[in-house]
Amino acid sequence: MGKSLDFEFIHENKCKRAVLLFHGMTGSPYEMKKMGKALFDADFDVFCYCLPGHGTSPINIKTVRWQDWYDDSVLHYKELTQKYDEVYLGGLCLGAVLAIAIAQEYQNVRGIVSLSTTLFLDGWTIPWYNFFMPIGVHTILRYYYSFPEREPYGLKNETLRRKIAALQKRNTEALDNYPMSCIYELLKFSKQTQKNIAKVTAPILLMHAKEDDLTSTKSAEFVYRNISSKTKNYIKLENSYHLIVMDYERDYVFEKSIEFFNSLSDFSPEKTKQFSQQEKVGV
Amino acid sequence: MIEFSQMTKIVQTLRHLSLVLLIVSNFLLIAGFVAGKIVLHKTEDAIKFFARFSVGICTLFVIYFVSILCFSIVCLFSQNALCSLIFPVFLFLPFVIGKFSTYEKVHFYTNIQIVTLVISLAIALLIL
Repeated sequence: MGKSLDFEFIHENKCKRAVLLFHGMTGSPYEMKKMGKALFDADFDVFCYCLPGHGTSPINIKTVRWQDWYDDSVLHYKELTQKYDEVYLGGLCLGAVLAIAIAQEYQNVRGIVSLSTTLFLDGWTIPWYNFFMPIGVHTILRYYYSFPEREPYGLKNETLRRKIAALQKRNTEALDNYPMSCIYELLKFSKQTQKNIAKVTAPILLMHAKEDDLTSTKSAEFVYRNISSKTKNYIKLENSYHLIVMDYERDYVFEKSIEFFNSLSDFSPEKTKQFSQQEKVGV
Repeated sequence: MIEFSQMTKIVQTLRHLSLVLLIVSNFLLIAGFVAGKIVLHKTEDAIKFFARFSVGICTLFVIYFVSILCFSIVCLFSQNALCSLIFPVFLFLPFVIGKFSTYEKVHFYTNIQIVTLVISLAIALLIL
């Protein structure tokens, strides 16, 4: 099931730039599909694969470690770097952390779009008994406990919210709960990423909703403050929750991502146009 | 000023109270883990049930840890250094077990957790 959720949008004529997208924790490539289509229409080849443990049975997610997510993502990234001149990374939630972690290790990442970066779980829907988290996470209890997913399901858009709630019942495109063991792996991964944050030199665009229900803007601000990238932009969204690629401002998110990637690319439509005009004039 | 005899009385009361608390929380933890182990794979999709169950176990763990700490400190004052050495081990064991556990071996590690709780309960009962 997991593999069938993967998508690859490839142009017929050989494209020189690709975007590798990563979905969020307990999500699937389904949530990135609209962004993928928007990027494809903007002349990028787009790839998004189901992360290990995701998109199959809820039990599978309890068996994976953060290294599995990272290794799988690096593998896809390396494959793309063999085929394309420019490879960009984009991710939502856990996917954003993955994109940043890859950029820490591989300096040839052309650019990152980091959406709803999740380094700290401190959003407003985190339950009141969150202070028990250290006990729950670090003992055997993490295999028993799951945070039940509940309203607003990361969405401010109520129509979409109902659709997502229905999808979560199927437990494939998205899970209806966050297993504590998965949160444990995410937190370990986040800690690791925080430690090496200064290694990131790739240009980055951070977008985060002010009212993110899962993780506050603290995560994006931490990345923005501590990375070594010379080109770094941070946009706070006013009318979305966690799933900014599906919520009210999704078109704005897509537009800004395309604009950002194009500004870094040597093959953007404007630059290609300029280049061909210069050739005609004989410069 | 508190007299020596009064001080001894306070220490004794604290010791007794923390020990009783330890025994009760210990017993409930064992019962909770056994129940969790039996029910876990039968009602895997009962997310809300397990959320409440885990919050309950966490609360018991907090009580268990606090009572161990209190008891160990009080034991130092009542010149029972052995107790104040043995019990803190049980404070760390759940985290050590948690560190090594995996989902594939969750039953095995739950059994180890239960065994350590039974041992601490037995020692506490012996002291009582």
